[in-house]
Amino acid sequence: MNAVDRRVFVKAGGLALVALGVDPIFLTRAAYAVNRRTGSSARAKTLVCLFQRGAVDGLNMVVPHGDPFYYRERPRIAIPRPGANGGALNLDGHFGLHPALAPLQALYHNGSLAIVHAVGSPEDTRSHFDAQDYMETGTPGLKSTPDGWLNRYLGLRHAREHQDTPFRGVAIGPQLPRALRGAAPALAIDNLQAFGLRAPEPARDRLTQAFEELYQGSATGLVATSSEEAFEAVRMLKALNPRRYEPANGAQYPPGPLGRSLRQIAQLIKADLGMEIAFADVGGWDTHVNQGGSEGQLAARLTDFGSAIAAFTQDLGERMADVVVLTMSEFGRTVAENGNVGTDHGHATAMFVLGGGVKGGRVYGDWPTLDPAQRFEGRDLAVTTDFRDLFAEVLTGQLGVAELAAVFPGYTPVRRLGVLG
Amino acid sequence: MPVVPKSWFVAGSIFGAIAWGPAAARSAPQVQQSPADSVERARALHVLNRLTFGPRPGDVDRVVAMGVDRYIEQQLNPEKIRDDQVARHLARLKVLRTGPEDLARIYLEEQRARLERQRAAGPDSVADTRRMLPERQDVALSPARRLAGEFQQAAVVRATLSERQLYEVMADFWTNHFNVFLAKGADRFLMPEYIERTIRPNVLGRFEDLLVATAHSPAMLFYLDNVQSVTPGARPPQLERLERARRAMARGRPGRFPGRADPRQLDSLKARIEQRIPQGLNENYARELLELHTLGVDGGYTQQDVINAARILTGWSMTPPPQGARFVFNDWAHDRGEKVVVGRFFPAGRGEEEGEELLRFLARHPSTMRHVSAKLCARFVADDPPDGCIDAGVHAWERTGGDIPEVLRAIFQSPEFWAPAYRGAKVKTPLEFVVSAVRAVGGEPDTTLALAQVVSRLGQPLYLQPPPTGYPETQDSWVNSGALLERLNIALGIAAGRAPGAVVDAQALIPAWTDSYELADFVNRRVLNGTASLNTLRVMREQTADLPPDRARVVALGLALGSPEFQRQ
Repeated sequence: MNAVDRRVFVKAGGLALVALGVDPIFLTRAAYAVNRRTGSSARAKTLVCLFQRGAVDGLNMVVPHGDPFYYRERPRIAIPRPGANGGALNLDGHFGLHPALAPLQALYHNGSLAIVHAVGSPEDTRSHFDAQDYMETGTPGLKSTPDGWLNRYLGLRHAREHQDTPFRGVAIGPQLPRALRGAAPALAIDNLQAFGLRAPEPARDRLTQAFEELYQGSATGLVATSSEEAFEAVRMLKALNPRRYEPANGAQYPPGPLGRSLRQIAQLIKADLGMEIAFADVGGWDTHVNQGGSEGQLAARLTDFGSAIAAFTQDLGERMADVVVLTMSEFGRTVAENGNVGTDHGHATAMFVLGGGVKGGRVYGDWPTLDPAQRFEGRDLAVTTDFRDLFAEVLTGQLGVAELAAVFPGYTPVRRLGVLG
Repeated sequence: MPVVPKSWFVAGSIFGAIAWGPAAARSAPQVQQSPADSVERARALHVLNRLTFGPRPGDVDRVVAMGVDRYIEQQLNPEKIRDDQVARHLARLKVLRTGPEDLARIYLEEQRARLERQRAAGPDSVADTRRMLPERQDVALSPARRLAGEFQQAAVVRATLSERQLYEVMADFWTNHFNVFLAKGADRFLMPEYIERTIRPNVLGRFEDLLVATAHSPAMLFYLDNVQSVTPGARPPQLERLERARRAMARGRPGRFPGRADPRQLDSLKARIEQRIPQGLNENYARELLELHTLGVDGGYTQQDVINAARILTGWSMTPPPQGARFVFNDWAHDRGEKVVVGRFFPAGRGEEEGEELLRFLARHPSTMRHVSAKLCARFVADDPPDGCIDAGVHAWERTGGDIPEVLRAIFQSPEFWAPAYRGAKVKTPLEFVVSAVRAVGGEPDTTLALAQVVSRLGQPLYLQPPPTGYPETQDSWVNSGALLERLNIALGIAAGRAPGAVVDAQALIPAWTDSYELADFVNRRVLNGTASLNTLRVMREQTADLPPDRARVVALGLALGSPEFQRQ
């Protein structure tokens, strides 16, 4: 269908649906379909969210080596002071990076990486399930929020700019995460190469074409608009030829899921498909047992984490000016190590913000200290920055969102950190 | 009209032809039907679309032959329907033969073993990254994971094969209404008991009994944190005994804790217990009870009502998993003060019984009748349920005290249920799509657990919806470009007989045809029950005309199951 046909169809179909009392959401989406930019869109600003599922130990990821209580509470797993064997990589005299995050050190010092410490949720839950849910809906304490905060952002933009590409919100993985679920369209892509119909060529092309004809002629409502988006996405990805992708600037992604995800996200960004939100999960942070110190279990996860992010930055090169990477985790871990040389579920943690407009080279947020009197419930790092303050600031700074109340309903940001712009 | 017109944008002149469906589109010879026949067939198809997980080949004829109304009555009385085939399939699933105690034991042992493995593995072992993604199936399943997979499969097997289709549709409805998330701690082993003994016995009973049953289920109480809701400052008797013993010890008298003569041991035991006792009121269950299970978000309650409902339910808990994770009422944790919930007064000094009274009061509240009837109408009639249908449900509820079959009968008899505008208008959920596709081609689940995984891939992993809202019923949640492409892949897979998890005999379904017109016509009649639009028939013909017979059959079937018509019911 060309644009004119589509417009006519939307008009007629829309009226028919109104007559039937069909959800107006279809009309809104149909309108996007009509006005959608096709092919070459301008360079979009992109926010890449990485969710460290399982609650990362923020205190060993970004080490408060200047806090005396740190070494007292972690006799077997503490990261030694900077300069010592296996010591933390000093950032500002008080904090240091875990030595496994060496690839990120240069990014901090050149000002593109900022860290927010003692950040987290105002809710006191120590359940992974509840805390992830709260962080992804953006409504801590409210379990029945139907959609995620990133989806609400996508919906907001829809209403304002009436333009869309199927790639505006993309999660790398088999399913949409809660943060991207909701009424606005978003795409879950497990593998760029396998996106579309799974059949050997040339049957694949022929079947794709057949289904496209089927949907152009027989589909109505939301099914019709979604199918248009789907076939357009298949065409765009085919043109992209993901099989032949070569990372730039000698970037080498580590093997493993995060490297694979970031490599595909880089590819989508460079292809100028209008992607504004990208999302990927990275797991393995629930280190109750044998967490290790400078080496060991957590160190292995951080090596993968740091080298994947560094490779992504290298691959994108100057294009990083349009990109912000935001990492998050549902909560942090206990200040004290436990009887199994690990850490249990805690409260505040640390998050990274990396990219173009980021005022990096600083650790943001008030440090509540690890003094037992200052701890949350006497045991965990207290939250001094509500995660929504950070998320809201990143949305505003990177994507120019003014209507924060629509993304974080019922919440007024408490303070500006100044991480972006 | 047999179907809602699917092609509004096609020129108006052929509108009528499409609206009257397949007859106008067919070129191959066919059986003549009287207009009365076709009206009856359309009614049968609508009932099969909504009261079942989709018609199997020949089902429309069977329902027409026995009478549509009689079929509805039969489905409302499932105990009279024989159901042997599904029983044979389910017999293979070990999870249904494993009692709650054994399930708990298997899970707890596995948890212990994992901890020991991590301890023994030393600091170089890599954390189990898959733990946070329970829906992913590993190649080698642990016994506990396998049981969870079996349990998901049981739901798909029942939906596909049971003759008691309405019962299974309603089991899915109530499972979703009273959602519990399988991957939250103890719910990993409590879920089978929750479904088999709490939900299923009450699927077509009285709403009140179903509500009371869910409120007593450890699965729900754990999922929504009521197990740790205690009146602020409450201390378990165990702790008080300990404190008395400690005081006695301090005064130099022998304690009543033999074997713990050392006061330091007593102190450390006390500290451990204190760390574990819950800190106060937890409103989660009470809030969802009012907002989702009964009154509805606009049902006229306040935050104070939530708090007071939570106070009434303090002490509704479960024993620790090693002691069976059974329902227990902890008297020590209960708030014995007076409370008011939505205008109802609960006097001071009462215990467990006021919780049950609250639940029955909520179940009979007019807001609950309206809220639950509206949800039923959203499931059976339209995403945005029409008032007439809701009213019909409410009246039946008032008349019968919330007898579920009576409420359903009233909805099925409402004019809105039969309104042409709503026929074929609801988009199938992933579960409905996958199951209806297997049923449409006369297939059945194979002996693996794969079919449930196909449903997961489409975004509806069963029993794994984290929020208490359950899976949404509306189309905007299920229709998006990625999910649509996945549906096409599944359609092609089922048609080709290479879909994981389903056994399909396409040749038996479409044995022979003379040309592509006849093939498209067969597929339209046998699989789509005559709902194919002109365009769909044309694409089916054009795409199969030059193909060898086996390939043509697969492509025609795949196009039918992947067609926009088949995404709706």
